[in-house]
Amino acid sequence: MIDEVTIASLNENALLVSFGNTIDVAVNQLVTSLALTIVNKPFSGFIEAVPAYSSLAVFYDPGVVLSKNNLRATAAEFVTSYIREILDETGKIIDHSNARKIEIPVLYDGEDLALVADHHRLTTDEIVSIHTSTLYRVFMIGFLPGFAYMGTLDPRIEMSRRSSPRTSVPAGSVAIAGMQTGIYPQASPGGWQLIGRTPIKIFDTAKSPPCLLSSGDTVQFVAIDKDLFDSLNEY
Amino acid sequence: MSIEILKLGLLSTLVGSERIGFRNVGVGSGGAMDTFAMKVANYLVGNAEQESVLEMYFPSCEILVRNTELISVTGKGFDVSVNDSPISSWKPIVVSKNSILKLNVRRNGGRAYVSVNGGWKSASWLGSFSTHLGVQAGGHFGQVIKKGAVIETSRLSNAKDSNAFNWGIASSELEKVYTPTNEIRCIESIESNLLSQPSRTAFASTEFTISNTSNRMGFRLSGKPMKLDKPINLVSSAVDVGTIQLLPEGNLIILMADHQTTGGYPRIASVVKADLPKLAQLNPTDQLIFKFITLHEAEKLLVERQTQLEEIRKSCLLRMRN
Repeated sequence: MIDEVTIASLNENALLVSFGNTIDVAVNQLVTSLALTIVNKPFSGFIEAVPAYSSLAVFYDPGVVLSKNNLRATAAEFVTSYIREILDETGKIIDHSNARKIEIPVLYDGEDLALVADHHRLTTDEIVSIHTSTLYRVFMIGFLPGFAYMGTLDPRIEMSRRSSPRTSVPAGSVAIAGMQTGIYPQASPGGWQLIGRTPIKIFDTAKSPPCLLSSGDTVQFVAIDKDLFDSLNEY
Repeated sequence: MSIEILKLGLLSTLVGSERIGFRNVGVGSGGAMDTFAMKVANYLVGNAEQESVLEMYFPSCEILVRNTELISVTGKGFDVSVNDSPISSWKPIVVSKNSILKLNVRRNGGRAYVSVNGGWKSASWLGSFSTHLGVQAGGHFGQVIKKGAVIETSRLSNAKDSNAFNWGIASSELEKVYTPTNEIRCIESIESNLLSQPSRTAFASTEFTISNTSNRMGFRLSGKPMKLDKPINLVSSAVDVGTIQLLPEGNLIILMADHQTTGGYPRIASVVKADLPKLAQLNPTDQLIFKFITLHEAEKLLVERQTQLEEIRKSCLLRMRN
């Protein structure tokens, strides 16, 4: 797997380390492990690392990289060899496969739940039971502040995006699309199928850190009833 | 102590430094569209560069300055007056209490930055005063500034009417940043090599027009439709301000300050950091032409810009003391 790594410049202050173009747990584990390794032992000029499904962007200040290393070559070449060194030496990468497990309560009363059930000739209870019996990996966070792309969904409940997206999906909505599941942290336009809602604010500007989830976390959804939802409701 | 917004342009927010370190939870760097004008506006009034500055797009505005303040106005595409007497932008100015500061858009306008000694009173979120409209945090209550708004200064002013400043930023410094106006330099990005040969040629040799649907998230361009050699479905991956993405219908979008942190469209090039302030001052219907340079040159330009800003900062500080 590591042989297929490419490292290329996104621009003059970021490199993209790419492990292919795929949604795959083992590949994503490499991404989050590399992120953790770099964050724990940053080079001078390192700014931040941004994990995605099968790539990691490494942001840096070329001015600092160049001045600290007295380089004749480019800052990009220096950072590339820094990353290559981590990837090439076995044992240098920190194993990030034992990440946190987080339970998220969900009231399964989404507007599209019946539609999803009909589509698969299952009952809504069966959809809920399948959705709650899988442990999901947070592959990446993007699209909106705190929007976690999680997977992978049991093929028995997979469903494509709505043909026309909603103009406003309420904050806290739990949704599915293709092989993924996610939670809308803020009200936003969205095309995913809504199956429920969580009373927990997964992104809260008043909290530090503001985001409940991180890339690499494991998420377990837990079905709750309306009474419990109301008593837990943070929105 | 405060200003009152009597009349406003199209979009006004408080901006501070870029918000660093939260892309991994989907929070982008945000901040000023024209970071050069924003930082220099702060230097001109003796502030650190991260202080809160008023950014106004298409700045046809009237502002009542209630107390005597040391301010500066930077940016492009407008005339400035105090009580209807023209004043210069890009220099420190003492505005007497109860004066009317007016900005009038010239041609099709641009982005203006109004700074005050001490900075505008602003909420800090995740280490930056910049307004995040999506989650309504930072800046002026996380919101766009509306007509009638009162914006406080963060400290009492010690500016006196007798203070006169006869210096400003030399036009040669501004030319380095903003000219030639419509030439935008770029470098290759992750999916540049997927572009078809005719599209590569057209990208670097034909003009593109900034479309009306452009905003703080991105500038959409119209021009020769671009094509990949063969269609590809990409899983989402990081993007940055200046990333040029190819949209499915063949048009381009350049991501700007409030872009999303990840995206799934091919990244066919990237505007160099040094030319982002210039780009931010272009407007819908303006034309631009891309010019490819090497990564090595882009790094050098970025370092030169950092050095230029540092020299401007020091020289403002020295002249402010004298």
